[in-house]
Amino acid sequence: MNESIAIFPLLTLFWWATQAGALAAGEAVANATLTRLAAVQPAEAHATMITPLADRGQKATVLFFLTTECSVGNGYAPEIARIVQEYQKRGVTCYGVYAHETAAAVTRHLKDYALPFSGVLDPKLQLARLTGATVTPEACILSPDSRVLYRGRIDDRAVKPGTVRAEPSVRDLRLSLDAVLAGKPVPQPVTRAIGCYLDLPAPEK
Amino acid sequence: MPYRPVLRSLALLLLWPAALAAAEKRPVTFSEDIAPLVFSNCAACHRPGQIGPFALTDYESVKRRAKLIAEVTEDRTMPPWHADPGVVAYSNDRSLTKEQIALFSDWLAAGTPEGDPAKTPVLPEIKDGWQMGPPDQIATMPEAFTVPAEGRDIYRKFTIPLNLDKDTWVKGIEFHPGDPRVVHHILYYLDTTGKAREMDAKDPKPGFGGMSQSNGEFRYIGGWDVGTQPVELPYGLRWFIPKGSDLVVQVHYHPIGKETTDQSSVGFHYSDEPTAKPWSIIPVPPHFGMMQGIDIPAGEKEHIEKASFTIPEDCTIFSVNAHAHYLGKRMEMSATFPDGSTRWLLKTSNWDFKWQEDYAFKDPIKLPAGTRLDVLMSYDNSAENPANPTKPPKRVIWGPSTTDEMGVITLSAIFETKEQKEATHQALRVYLANQMIDRLLEGSETVFGQVRGQIGAADQNKASKNLEAARAPLLALDFDKDSKLSSAERIPAIAYILQGAFIKNLGAIGFD
Ligand code: HEC
Repeated sequence: MNESIAIFPLLTLFWWATQAGALAAGEAVANATLTRLAAVQPAEAHATMITPLADRGQKATVLFFLTTECSVGNGYAPEIARIVQEYQKRGVTCYGVYAHETAAAVTRHLKDYALPFSGVLDPKLQLARLTGATVTPEACILSPDSRVLYRGRIDDRAVKPGTVRAEPSVRDLRLSLDAVLAGKPVPQPVTRAIGCYLDLPAPEK
Repeated sequence: MPYRPVLRSLALLLLWPAALAAAEKRPVTFSEDIAPLVFSNCAACHRPGQIGPFALTDYESVKRRAKLIAEVTEDRTMPPWHADPGVVAYSNDRSLTKEQIALFSDWLAAGTPEGDPAKTPVLPEIKDGWQMGPPDQIATMPEAFTVPAEGRDIYRKFTIPLNLDKDTWVKGIEFHPGDPRVVHHILYYLDTTGKAREMDAKDPKPGFGGMSQSNGEFRYIGGWDVGTQPVELPYGLRWFIPKGSDLVVQVHYHPIGKETTDQSSVGFHYSDEPTAKPWSIIPVPPHFGMMQGIDIPAGEKEHIEKASFTIPEDCTIFSVNAHAHYLGKRMEMSATFPDGSTRWLLKTSNWDFKWQEDYAFKDPIKLPAGTRLDVLMSYDNSAENPANPTKPPKRVIWGPSTTDEMGVITLSAIFETKEQKEATHQALRVYLANQMIDRLLEGSETVFGQVRGQIGAADQNKASKNLEAARAPLLALDFDKDSKLSSAERIPAIAYILQGAFIKNLGAIGFD
């Protein structure tokens, strides 16, 4: 599974989502924003590639793919919140990306689980497909020029839904972020995330 | 035209396999195959406001999670049910058969078709409120307990005064979780000593800690786990609640990623009639395995504890459950009858502390006097065990807190007479006394630490300063000086231990 997406440019769609500017933490991006951009194809994204995150002076962006109703992802909420708070100070912006949810449900989820970032709605799973995320929770680190630097689990505490260790032994996302911020290569760019599946359409034969 | 019928039957014969194949080919659909399964095996927990993280109550909600459902049913994570499939028949078995499990992957492969929605069965209704009707008394936790967002599971006991001014028979108990998303299971105890109130008052937070009672001061009267429909006790049996008892509810909380509060209630259904038959529990080894000498080295992958108890009187058993802490892995009990035949009563190869089910035998089982109960309990104290609460693993001994271990397999048993029940309780006390003698003679410092000052008749006020001193009265009975106690030598030794504070203060070893 050599991940071609590891160098996939980030879609304009995401640029819009982040450039919208008015995104306060805890707020879900209105569906409309994304629908307007849904027509943008990956090929076009290449052509119109922009580096909005660099413009904003960010060193990296983390997308957390989440669903409001997964015991694994919800169990991670306190750790996600800690990561966001710690790495935000170091120039990293984080977003929660939700596929199968309404803006109201996402807003409630962010509040209930004290997640200190904006929610992005991805109803057509474009962000998921572009980054290669298939599971919730799954984390994705993007470079300022929109390349996927890391994709996978937050750490290794989840063994399978229903079986979660009290403590992880490898904190993959933190390790990867530390590497990125230190300008070093990510030691393990792709790991397997454990949790609930995104309802992606079956690959075409 | 005499050939006609012949031809017709020939045609039928030819068509027969084709027709069969067509019937088999019918794709697995939600309405006809999946919905009946999910509605009856999953929806009790997976419905709004229940413990399941999402509802599985209609086509959309099930379809969207079809892949995950196929996986968690395949590896038997769901529905939660930990007895090995096909070994013992239980009436409350909620596990799926191999054929049922295969339906989920077949449905996924078929593209999760809905089928004819008209054929979808109606979702069984679970009415809000008390399932057994309005209780005669409702006992509510005096304060709400805050369950943190994360961390290890929490076992917390809450003391609720019942204020009963007379002895009371109870035919049913229903638990009402305050926040069903965090409550996993419950154990009920009664306290007539006032000790629970004291411990509750001493602990600054609501309730008090500890996973099981550390000594016998509380009387265990059963429990409940999520997804189980509350029902009246079977066979006209009743619980006995002495007047003035406090209810002690031990609640097992599982944090869910956000802080919540829980203030649960317990509904009691009283009975004018006393119990139809004397009944009790038979715990093997008794007292949560306290005298077993459980001592698990750090890192040990499969630590085995065994216990055998021969029942002294005829009885009929109707359910079994197992209790251990995080490291429990295999929990097994078999019966060897006086005629030499054997059968399984419980076999769980993947026991899980998170789900402490009570397994009700499909048909009650008669155990004649002389039946031997053999128990095997295994513990996984390796770092690879995801349930291991300590990292790196540390040595674990018997104890009441979550990071200690214990172990017992408990039968619910009905007797014909009170005398039979009492004799069984006494045999359990003698069993404990024998275990204590063995551990002290082996030189178990951990067991000595637990019973110090309460060992035998002469051992008051910590008379035995150390293990050597505690062993002395026992070794004095070793007339043939082989450093062991023969069965004859044991008779006075057991009498000595039974007089000690430990056994005397055990309280009830079974039910009153
Ligand atoms: C006794 C209650 C109960 C029953 C019955 C039950 N579940 Fe669950 N289920 C849970 C709980 C609680 C969880 C959350 C994980 C945990 O705590 O182990 C869960 C988790 C899951 C998950 C994983 C998703 C996650 O977020 O962890 C799936 C899928 C699932 N259940 C499907 C099913 C299916 C299908 C059935 C029936 C065949 C079923 N469950 C029966 C209580 C139940």
